[in-house]
Amino acid sequence: MSEQDAFAGPDAGEPAPQLIPLNAIFATDFVQILVPVTTENTMAEVAAAVAYHVEGKRVRALPYDKVVVYHGERLPTEMTVAAAGIQPLDSIAVEYDIPEGS
Amino acid sequence: MALLKREEWQGFVRDVDWSYRYVDDEAVYPEWHSGTGKVPRAAWAAWEESYKVSYPEYVATQREKEAAAYAVKGALQRSRVWDGLTEGWKSATKMHFGGAAVAEYAAVFAELKMARFGLAGAWRNMAVFGALDELRHAAITTFFGHEFISRDPQYDWTQKAYQTDNWVAIALRNLFDAMMSSANVVDIALQLPLVFETGFTNLQFVALAADALASGDVNFANMISSIQTDEARHSQQGGPTLEILAEHDPVRAQWVVDKTFWASARALSALTGVSMDYYTPLEHRKQSYREFMEEWIIDQFVRTLEQYGLRKPWYWDEFMRGLDIWHHALHMGFWVWRPTIWWRPMAAVSPDERAWLAEKYPTWEKVFGDKWDVIIDNVNAGNVVATLPETLPWLCSTCHLPCCNATQSRDGTWRVRDVQLSYDGRIYHFCTIACRQIFWKDRSGVNHETLVDRFLAGRIQPMDVGGVLAYMGLTPEVMGDDPDYAAWTRDYAGRSAEGLALPAQL
Repeated sequence: MSEQDAFAGPDAGEPAPQLIPLNAIFATDFVQILVPVTTENTMAEVAAAVAYHVEGKRVRALPYDKVVVYHGERLPTEMTVAAAGIQPLDSIAVEYDIPEGS
Repeated sequence: MALLKREEWQGFVRDVDWSYRYVDDEAVYPEWHSGTGKVPRAAWAAWEESYKVSYPEYVATQREKEAAAYAVKGALQRSRVWDGLTEGWKSATKMHFGGAAVAEYAAVFAELKMARFGLAGAWRNMAVFGALDELRHAAITTFFGHEFISRDPQYDWTQKAYQTDNWVAIALRNLFDAMMSSANVVDIALQLPLVFETGFTNLQFVALAADALASGDVNFANMISSIQTDEARHSQQGGPTLEILAEHDPVRAQWVVDKTFWASARALSALTGVSMDYYTPLEHRKQSYREFMEEWIIDQFVRTLEQYGLRKPWYWDEFMRGLDIWHHALHMGFWVWRPTIWWRPMAAVSPDERAWLAEKYPTWEKVFGDKWDVIIDNVNAGNVVATLPETLPWLCSTCHLPCCNATQSRDGTWRVRDVQLSYDGRIYHFCTIACRQIFWKDRSGVNHETLVDRFLAGRIQPMDVGGVLAYMGLTPEVMGDDPDYAAWTRDYAGRSAEGLALPAQL
């Protein structure tokens, strides 16, 4: 099975989600990592996918929402990868959305 | 027949050249191998080594060195010295054996290339000795590492590592192929003897020999000290070559020296930096990596630059800042991705070891302490699984080492920032600004794909951790693991620990 087949939906008429491998850094972690997502993933899902490899494992988990930062811009949690225009091999950062003053 | 005195024959024996009647000079010394560039062909006639040696002298000296090295080895083979070495120190030697043994063999060909295409008879003569030296180094390093295979299968990677697609091996081949194999001989003379051997083998051989002796590994110290005596001689091919090139083409000289110093510094921070500041037992550390770099490498490099009228490289500030970051981050990378390496990395972050690190590197706790604390708390919570990797680190498209170099923000926080380049329809990522600059200027010669490139191209199947480990040639008995988790976590046991990953559900 190819990578694309793995993401093929039941309706052949709809475009299948495309695999988007990303260069990602989580908050204060020490290294950029490879994280695969799809064009249909929301920013909340992307943040969770990156956090999975680091949060509580190398960076202590904090009780705040997470936000994806792409080209210096914080993206809405419901925005999809496709809508954000994120391309394969792009770089993103995932940060805790810490309220001011906390 | 009366023999001539040395001074009566050495002058012409060491610098034999010919005038060609049937072919032109370009046919014998083609530009793509000999690389004279803007330097007039006749200028190379002034090439002169400072320390002259004849073949009989060379053979006699080398015979003595070999006899001495193998005598010590023979005596120690019957002792129990190896059993008393720490796992940390053994890892430093496994790293060296795997990284150096076959690279020394590659250096034979670099020397042979200079012996054939070098632009002066004296240079070619020196390079023949250099080739013989490197052959000895390949043999002695392979033989000394081979002895331990029956006791520990990781030593099998003495010969194996360089020939696998392990990510560390790819990084080393990427470095040494550019330095020793693909370049013309003028560039090789600057890259290998001048920058790498004059500069960095001091680091690997002198510093590591001191730590080896302190750690009780007389055999290893004996081996690398024996090698270093050769390096000190044949590395002098660099000086005369740089002198001529810098006079006629200082821009090229500066560029070749700059990029090789950078590439060497990146690789040696991984190999020697980690060995000195983490794998060498605390009580045996003579100097920190940074102290050694400042005393033995940087001062000498800057003096060499000044001597030949060159400037400090454009990346100097970035390089100096890296002395506090690079090898610490690479150590954490080796440790986290420990199943992908052929040694057993000691985390070496007990309270005493951290106190030493904090004293030597005042920013260490701020940049790295928080990550190690979470790792320590996971180990103490019985959740070692949470510390193991499930994806790949992003590897720099120039040095092939992980992109893991935090820099300080104006607000005082430390973050790893992306350094990228869009070129020829794709995005490349780099560990540092200088690696990006070197990629850009040398982009037509880039020919190694990182492990991440290969993974994303679908050449590693299945596309999971098992597939990656198999691709890199790692087998269960060789994969690295921390040899003693308790040694560096027990002092933290029982402390409050929030924000940890939950244990995986079976």
